[in-house]
Amino acid sequence: MTSITGTAARALAGFGSTSIGRAFGSWLGKIAGGFLVLLLLTAIFAPWITPFDYAAQDLTNGNAPPGWPHLLGTDQFGRDVLSRVIYGARTSLSVSATAIAISITVGMTLGAAAGYIGGMFERAVMTVVDLTWSFPDILIALIFVAIIGPGLTSTTFAIAIAYLAQFTRLTRAQIVRLKRETFIEATVNLGAKPRHILLRHLLPNAITPVIVVGMLAIGDGIVLEATLGFFGLGAQPPTPSWGAMMSSGTAQLFLSPWVIIFPGVVVAVTVIAVNLFGDELIRALDIKDRIRGA
Amino acid sequence: MLEVRDLEVAFGPVAPLSGVNFSINKGETLGIVGESGSGKSLTAMSVMGLLPLSGGRITAGSIMFDGQDLTKLKEPAYRKLRGGRIGLITQNPMTSLDPLQKIGGQVDAVAMLHLGMTPKQARARTVEILGTLRIPEPATICNRYPHQMSGGMKQRIVIAMALAADPDVLVADEPTTALDVTVQAQIMRLLHDLVKDRDLALVLITHDMSVVAQTCDKVVVMYAGRAIEHGPVEAIFDAPQHPYTQALINCIPKGLSEDEHLTGIPGTVPTVLNYPDGCPFHPRCTRAQDICAVERPAVVPFGSGGAACHFAGAAP
Amino acid sequence: MTNKLEVRNLSKQFISPGGPFSKARAMHAVNDVSFDLPTGRVIGVVGESGCGKSTLARLILRLIEPTTGSLSFDGDDLLAQPPAAMRRLRADMQMVFQDPYSAIDPRFTVGRAVMEPFEVQGRKPAGTHAEEIDRLLTMVGLNPGLANSFPHQISGGQKQRVGIARALALRPSLLVLDEPTASLDVSVQAQIISLLEELRDDLGLTYLFISHDLSLVRYFCDEILVMYLGRVVEALPDTSLPARHPYTKTLMDSTFAPDPKQRRVIAPLEGEVPSPFDLPPGCAFAERCPHATDICRRETPTLAKIDGHAVACHHPL
Repeated sequence: MTSITGTAARALAGFGSTSIGRAFGSWLGKIAGGFLVLLLLTAIFAPWITPFDYAAQDLTNGNAPPGWPHLLGTDQFGRDVLSRVIYGARTSLSVSATAIAISITVGMTLGAAAGYIGGMFERAVMTVVDLTWSFPDILIALIFVAIIGPGLTSTTFAIAIAYLAQFTRLTRAQIVRLKRETFIEATVNLGAKPRHILLRHLLPNAITPVIVVGMLAIGDGIVLEATLGFFGLGAQPPTPSWGAMMSSGTAQLFLSPWVIIFPGVVVAVTVIAVNLFGDELIRALDIKDRIRGA
Repeated sequence: MLEVRDLEVAFGPVAPLSGVNFSINKGETLGIVGESGSGKSLTAMSVMGLLPLSGGRITAGSIMFDGQDLTKLKEPAYRKLRGGRIGLITQNPMTSLDPLQKIGGQVDAVAMLHLGMTPKQARARTVEILGTLRIPEPATICNRYPHQMSGGMKQRIVIAMALAADPDVLVADEPTTALDVTVQAQIMRLLHDLVKDRDLALVLITHDMSVVAQTCDKVVVMYAGRAIEHGPVEAIFDAPQHPYTQALINCIPKGLSEDEHLTGIPGTVPTVLNYPDGCPFHPRCTRAQDICAVERPAVVPFGSGGAACHFAGAAP
Repeated sequence: MTNKLEVRNLSKQFISPGGPFSKARAMHAVNDVSFDLPTGRVIGVVGESGCGKSTLARLILRLIEPTTGSLSFDGDDLLAQPPAAMRRLRADMQMVFQDPYSAIDPRFTVGRAVMEPFEVQGRKPAGTHAEEIDRLLTMVGLNPGLANSFPHQISGGQKQRVGIARALALRPSLLVLDEPTASLDVSVQAQIISLLEELRDDLGLTYLFISHDLSLVRYFCDEILVMYLGRVVEALPDTSLPARHPYTKTLMDSTFAPDPKQRRVIAPLEGEVPSPFDLPPGCAFAERCPHATDICRRETPTLAKIDGHAVACHHPL
């Protein structure tokens, strides 16, 4: 008897073997996807590839411009910018990915329940969801962090909550669309219980657009994390985060602009890559129509 | 009036149509019949010069219309003919009308464009044509929008648009497929009357052999992009020469006799990507021999028709 | 002969909710339908768009709940069954759907699709899974090698055969076929119909066959029910009988024969099927009927039998 994770794993496997391949097929997909893979590997192998300890201070060498041995320069405390950017990738990616994973799990559950059960329950859930939908994600995240306090955990949850509405709406839209399909009627006709219909048919078919939107949301999550970090509400020192680096770099803007520029460029490029790859995925999977309305 | 010879059509590297031949005169109804993927709709599109719209082109053959070869025609000249002397009735009336424009305006536009009429003249003509098509209260209908009308009504409007420019030839691509049986009977009766009253040439494209039996004078049977048999309608049904035609007629349930037994044709219709070599029907043919897999049969004349089979004329 | 199915006064009403600009409106998709389906027989339900035949098919299988009426299957009151019992009963009454392209989950392989009934009903096949898949696919004339194919890799006719195999996996006694060949080519349609005939004989099935194609129904079925706007207007106990209801006559006349020598000059029926909302009183066919009189516009005719042949008409032919 397989579980929900088994269903999800199988859905992902089926999806991974065909469609990601197709997204990589176009040249834009190749470039964007390649960058993301590179970023991921960098984040994973950070401890082995960083030239310096990201926390190591060298006050005698503060604000050094890019050159050798500090390829991207140093900040005011003499810490190597390159190493901090690399470790910042770890922070950003793991926070954002975790947050989106939580958001998808909770959002899919809520959305599937709302879509399947329908009636007053659906109305109630969707009203609450639509209310949060009308708040900018930054505001939601800020409110959450203000209540719980700054730090990586609260950042993760803040981002998760900010995007919950999106996944709930998307899943519900998929479920409502799928419910009308003949094969669902056929399954009911076989005498299937609702649980079977949800786990074996509705969720596996609904998951594809959700995964793709999740990818794009990771890009947004990175920006959100950087924003929170910029205000000092995200990762606390000495954990490096792109946002915090940019924040501390503002004071030294004309002295050592590289402290802001490099993290900023990396954030921008990452988000662009995520969006480009996500778009290519949507094109390759031909699911544009399923995402539009959600 | 209209004569198609050895037509071949290609979309990039793929050749969905090869070897289509037929001719039609005024006052005649020609049925082009075939299953899905047989190339019948493509044939209609070729005659209308609409292939470039979907990326196709005519690679061989000729389409003679009133002395002119349409395959050599440039687009501006084609545009004058299309909707003018050659009218097209499309398959799905639900989508062939502009949902945002009133019915009257859509039909008026044809007469104004092709016959140079003023709006007033065009409107008078529209009302007259709608009346001929037995649409009740034509003047009021002109002010309605397509979504306010039923399927059968919409199809009559489409026919009106095709008639408005006083065509010589009408090409009807599955005009009744999306309609109920009783409505189909009405529309086919209408088309029949139009052909008789106006001495039109009607090219009727359909998958339904019964419709062909009821309404057509001549028949062309298509399979996998080729015209594999043609002839007068009685000959085709009484003594079909091609095994596919014979088998196809046997697939149609009549429901009148206890002894009737349907079996179908084994296998599936080939798609354009895997047309068989030699005779396209040979993998499914009960009479196929070695030569059928290798050599493409030429059309063997029979009476006033012909069949593309190495063994045409043999008893079934 | 026992009755596999007994339908009495079955009705389904749909309500279109009003809004700020329109009132709520009601219509009967199926209106007061009664008939018996004897075990082992094939009854055809024929009609045009809006006649309610598809809704009837779903009511019979309780995929939609009727508004009023009663339904008994093998003598058991179907509408009184609680959900769990109903789910178990479904194994005995299956449906073959109209659109083979959407009747199978696109993520399921053919093998998984035909075995799903076992999974759903918690039953085990006689042999191994692989043996059962082989048996089912061979039974419907498919190559067992297709077990690992996906729906998008096989043709429409093959998809429909998979649908039939799935429906027959648990050996039901009743099969409802909702226009099973409507979207298939004529040559494939004949294959599928031939298969269905074989299966009926081999497995002793009872069929309810829904179609808009009168010739096909006449060929395949033992009896015919003709529906118009939700009502049964005629019930022919034998498919060779002539029509007694004017609508059935029009339907028969409009169905062309594949024989040019049998051309008809028909006076086609004027108008089209009216909207089922806001139906006028009396016979629903009265406004289009060439024989309509005053009583037709006042009183709805009921289905009355004359020598076993039932008609709902004030002036049967």
